[in-house]
Amino acid sequence: MIKKRINYGAILLGGFLLSSVSAAEKVDFEQEIAPILEEGCQFCHGEDAQESGFRLDGLAYLLKGGDSGFAAVVPGKPEQSYLLDAIRHADEAIAMPPYEDKLPQEQIDLIARWIAEGAIWPGQSVTIDSENSDHWSFQPVVRPEVPSSDKTRENPIDRFLAKKLAKEGLSFSPPADPRSLLRRVSIILTGLPPTSEELERFLKAYNQDAGAAYLAAIDRLLASPHFGERWAQHWLDVIRWAETNGSESNMYRKNAWIYRDYVVRAFNEDKPYDQFLFEQIAGDTVGQGDATGYLVAGPHVPVATVGREPSAQRQARADRMDEVLQTIGASALGLTISCARCHNHKFDPISIQDYYSMSAVFQDVEFGSRYPELAEDHPRSVRERELSQEIAGIHQQLKQWGPWQENWTGYRELHFPKTETRKIRISFEWKAVRLDEIEMFGPAEPERNFALASEGTQTVSPPEMTNYRAKLKEVNDGKYGTMAWVAKSLPGSKEKPWIEFSFPEPREIQRIRMSTNREDFLETDYLLGINNFNFGDYRVEVETLQGEWKQIAATKNFNLKNKTHPLRGKLQKELKGLIEEVGEAGVQPSFVGNFIAPVQTYVFGRGSPENPREEVFPKGLSELEGDLQLSSDAPGPQRRVAFAKWLIREEHPLTARVAANRLWHHVFGQGIVTTTSDFGAAGTEPTHPELLDWLAAELVGPTFEASRNEAQPWSMKHLIRLMVMSKAFRQSSSPTQRGLDKDADSALLWRFPPKRVEAEVIRDAILQAAGGLDRSLGGRSFRIHNVKKRYSQWEVVDNHGPETWRRMLYQERMRRVDDQMFTAFDFPDCGQVRAKRPISTTPLQALNLMNSPFVIEQANLIAERAKEFGGDKAQAVDQCFYRLLGRFPTDGERQAALELANEFDLSLVCRALINSNEFAFLP
Amino acid sequence: MNHPENLSQQGRHLLNRRHFLGTAGLSTAGLALAGLLQADGLLAKEPLTAGGKTPIRPDIDPGNPYASRKAHFEVPAQQVLVIYCPGAVSHVDTFDYKPELFKYDEQKPPGIPAVTFEGPTGNIAKPFWKFKPRGETGKMVSGLLPHLAEQVDDFCFFHALTTETSAHPQGENFMNTGFTMEGFPSFGAWVTYALGTENQELPAFVAINDPRGLARSGKNNFGNGFLPAAFQGTDFTAKNPPNNLHRPASLSPRADRRTADLLERLNAQHLEQYPGDADLAGRIASYELAGRMQTSVPDVMDLSGETQATLEAYGVEGGSELRGHYARNCLLARRLLEKGVRVVQLFNGSDPSGGNGITNWDSHSDIAKTHAMQAEIMDQPTAALIADLKQRGMLDHTLVVWATEFGRMPFLQANGTGRDHNPDAFTCFLTGAGVKRGFSYGESDEFGFKSVADKTTVYDFNATLLHLMGLDHERLTYYHNGLERRLTNVHGHVVHDVLEKHAS
Repeated sequence: MIKKRINYGAILLGGFLLSSVSAAEKVDFEQEIAPILEEGCQFCHGEDAQESGFRLDGLAYLLKGGDSGFAAVVPGKPEQSYLLDAIRHADEAIAMPPYEDKLPQEQIDLIARWIAEGAIWPGQSVTIDSENSDHWSFQPVVRPEVPSSDKTRENPIDRFLAKKLAKEGLSFSPPADPRSLLRRVSIILTGLPPTSEELERFLKAYNQDAGAAYLAAIDRLLASPHFGERWAQHWLDVIRWAETNGSESNMYRKNAWIYRDYVVRAFNEDKPYDQFLFEQIAGDTVGQGDATGYLVAGPHVPVATVGREPSAQRQARADRMDEVLQTIGASALGLTISCARCHNHKFDPISIQDYYSMSAVFQDVEFGSRYPELAEDHPRSVRERELSQEIAGIHQQLKQWGPWQENWTGYRELHFPKTETRKIRISFEWKAVRLDEIEMFGPAEPERNFALASEGTQTVSPPEMTNYRAKLKEVNDGKYGTMAWVAKSLPGSKEKPWIEFSFPEPREIQRIRMSTNREDFLETDYLLGINNFNFGDYRVEVETLQGEWKQIAATKNFNLKNKTHPLRGKLQKELKGLIEEVGEAGVQPSFVGNFIAPVQTYVFGRGSPENPREEVFPKGLSELEGDLQLSSDAPGPQRRVAFAKWLIREEHPLTARVAANRLWHHVFGQGIVTTTSDFGAAGTEPTHPELLDWLAAELVGPTFEASRNEAQPWSMKHLIRLMVMSKAFRQSSSPTQRGLDKDADSALLWRFPPKRVEAEVIRDAILQAAGGLDRSLGGRSFRIHNVKKRYSQWEVVDNHGPETWRRMLYQERMRRVDDQMFTAFDFPDCGQVRAKRPISTTPLQALNLMNSPFVIEQANLIAERAKEFGGDKAQAVDQCFYRLLGRFPTDGERQAALELANEFDLSLVCRALINSNEFAFLP
Repeated sequence: MNHPENLSQQGRHLLNRRHFLGTAGLSTAGLALAGLLQADGLLAKEPLTAGGKTPIRPDIDPGNPYASRKAHFEVPAQQVLVIYCPGAVSHVDTFDYKPELFKYDEQKPPGIPAVTFEGPTGNIAKPFWKFKPRGETGKMVSGLLPHLAEQVDDFCFFHALTTETSAHPQGENFMNTGFTMEGFPSFGAWVTYALGTENQELPAFVAINDPRGLARSGKNNFGNGFLPAAFQGTDFTAKNPPNNLHRPASLSPRADRRTADLLERLNAQHLEQYPGDADLAGRIASYELAGRMQTSVPDVMDLSGETQATLEAYGVEGGSELRGHYARNCLLARRLLEKGVRVVQLFNGSDPSGGNGITNWDSHSDIAKTHAMQAEIMDQPTAALIADLKQRGMLDHTLVVWATEFGRMPFLQANGTGRDHNPDAFTCFLTGAGVKRGFSYGESDEFGFKSVADKTTVYDFNATLLHLMGLDHERLTYYHNGLERRLTNVHGHVVHDVLEKHAS
């Protein structure tokens, strides 16, 4: 164990201070201060009791402070001394001694003077040194020697496990039968049991060469796109990712699912874990902007529903920052860093200063949407370019019939031949209009909006029509949302609203973009009454450079034009389709966080933003050399890049251990450290510390040849491959009395531990057996809920129809919404980090799986498929067993099933099989 | 669910806090910090709950997670009914009488903030309903709730409750889960986790939602959070049974039974390969329980055996349609409690839908009308339910909690007719097992604006509720993500003043 000492700066007391203060003026500690501390404080904060982890019977304690994380006394600096805040009752929450026991003012003044004079405690002087934690997980990973074995090619995992088993007088169980093995490995790697065809092929190959057949199966499964789906689900659980905000109105997060697709892709491509983490923290800097959905995975309270009180708004922002840190802590660091939000961490070397230094790293992150930065070869960029070209092609053709208008859902865009002008007037056909923004673009700089007030453009409209609370300036202030310009004709008047833009100099314009409330378009979807255009048809006139007004477009004529020119109509229809596809497959506003200017960061005393204390700078954990050499001027991306690099250093003791352990947890059902997101002192200790370190080292730098291809550093597939190739994984799950007596949890892996599979596996396996599983990868989630109003709750409307027959990973993940089916199976509510799911058994599960329309319909389908297979009823029964359980029935089972099928229907046999323990448990 | 960290953590944690407390450089006195720390016990092995108490984790048989379990200490309360009123009931218009409001009516005395939750503030408004003394205790209660007012001699009021938020969903979360944030287990889930239930044929914890739908925080209010799903509230009402309770209409009872027979056979054979496996046996048992629920739940929902007098007392007929539905829910609550259900949570209000109709107690405009509409639904049935429980002797072993997430302001919103949210003073009441009767605890200031005497945080309130159920709020824990989690986080003090003498 390496121990380091960091000298935190010696606090020198004594001679030179004495010499600077005349003895006559000095407070006498023994006479004046010690009695106050003894009488007023030490009953609760002394030798016998240390409330709030604080005592005042030694100078060292005062310098250190209590749980708050602040020094109680800073010699010479009364203003920084927490003790004074407490005894002055400056803040009710820390007022000490409490209530009427408050010290008299003259005693408080005395203590303040004593501190100002250097807090001299005769006979005691202290330098505070820091000693690093000796907790196991903070020590460097050193690749341990693999226990020796008589077989040279034996998997190191088995050698570590066997050594420990032998110590307990246990040994591995015999190998699992090939059916169970394939079912197990298929579910572990892809979340799906094998299909009948896969099973048959495997059994045939297994008979010829068991080892080769199994290796081939692993190769196939690791290469399957379903591998990424399965492992993405685990990762999304940990970071409680969901597609709604939670909290009030629980709004849908637009296009948040592009992050889910990123995670699936990352696992499928075997993106090195270090890169995987880096991109999720700073993907915007490397063209992987969709990866930052990670940072905003947790729930949040949108600003609009926090209320108008500034303190509530500050609290809500602090809460959002805490969600970011919880994500980092639980998934990457394996530490509960949030515990240090209000005071120093109780168990781990994380100070309150560490917490706020880490929050400084993420000060540029806000919960919201942006157009993600995507590399040119990103599938979305590629598709967007293709679609843009097609759209440009149609534009070229459309031009021949003059102007046209496009609906981009959040806004309308009018296209017309470019015209150079000083003034543009838009006259509406409706008597009442609402616009949050009007934008004007030319050909030269396609994204430069000349309508902006900041471009020097002025607007005018009939003042009597404008509502005093919905001012004209809203229309070109560059801000979208509910703050909009509203104009209404006066009662009885024929005049309708119009607006005129005057540019400071002639501008070339060819497009005008208008919207009513574009914020909803950017932030959410699936809400009743959004993306409306409350401005109807309109005319556009420009003032020519010669000073004449001429009309260049009138939208109400557009439909008529399509009738006279059918080709125009056809092209517009095509255009509409392309625009819709851009919205789906292109680079679109997505809830992967938006970036704001970072502000200076302060430690919040007791976690309250109303109690800011010293400033802190962006850092990692000080315990792990987290100083990033950044000041408060550092731009946001630079902070995140530096932090990510600190996190993925090879020598970081936590990153690789946490990752390796998590993979192990999902393969063997229980981590080597069972508290997979807490590697701190409150977590459990590893059952196999050497094995864990070997795995961590092997993740960072692969040495063991597990496949024909050489493994890359940080390859997760490499590590998973090693695990599923082990004897430990391939052994039977049958219990032995000896094993149960010594190790009931099978933590030492004398057998493969059986357990109930997750909600997703149950649902997906049913769909697969019925032959209806849509295996398409990625894209928008399927929804089982209504389109709701802004202030109401989501309601399940269809959780079983054919459009829901995709893998459950793609079921919209809604915070705290019961899907009326799988919530009962511990499907998480996505409110809190879920490093691992509990496995509970409830009668509601039974009712859902017996009676839900989903199961009844699928049971019918499976029965139909079995009948289609041909043969008699007994063969149909056999098929049902094979499709659902991967085996044929015993004679007795067949007889019983036939009786049921004969009296009623084969589908009831399927219904029973779906509910069976064999179907629900990993063999 | 028996992972090692859920079984025992005691004694294996070295409380190695404050890593920077290393050894000290020495002067003549030679103060070595590490030495000091060893001497003071900070480095000794300690259990992990905040407050230094040993966690008591219920011993849960995976085969029967609902088995009745012993409380931490003996108390009269065996069951609990929570009547939850989402939207924030105005304390100054109901139970917290403030004569100064009449004096300052339509004035703006100093001390009123310029802005509260929804925006600028207006003037003080006197209560919209007349107060008069009630019962033998003479407790002042307004005419808004005439039926509940008759029973004040049985109630124990908390008048100085404070919360940490002015927003409904966070407020609901806080009252019902102990945290303003998402994802924490509800009070009912904690109690069920701790105590299991007496009647295995009904769900241990039933959430009876408002006829209009779920409250603003939705499932959070009765969810299991990170506790196993077994402990979530089962959601049904007098009108709608739990999801998927009934066998599909396409199946005959015999077909259903015969499917179950086949399933039993399959499972029995499978179990032979895993002799003694508790998880498998538990799942088999859960199907038997589900089968029994298919009869027991419809039975308990069937109100046809209730007498005309009872129906009238509850106000099933004769009021608004919503009152009729809510009254039936109240009857269902009594019937569930009679059958031994451990926790019943009854909601009186749902999530605002933006329509004209009111959905809960939130009254930012025209409070005189909207509170009256909501009170018409809540008052008579709730009062009848409590009276019914009393008359049947059930209050001897049932704790009743009437709660809302915060109060309302003594002043109106600027240019308005409604009252904004008040997180600093609000009223809830208890009655039944273990609770002092005809008692009021805590005081808000002369306007009901802020709590001043015996302030009670939501943590204190929840700590008291758990105490009344025989549970030590500091010891009822569940390990989640690095912490021994509690309903009361690291806070909360039991309010002993509200406990009946022999129960404290």
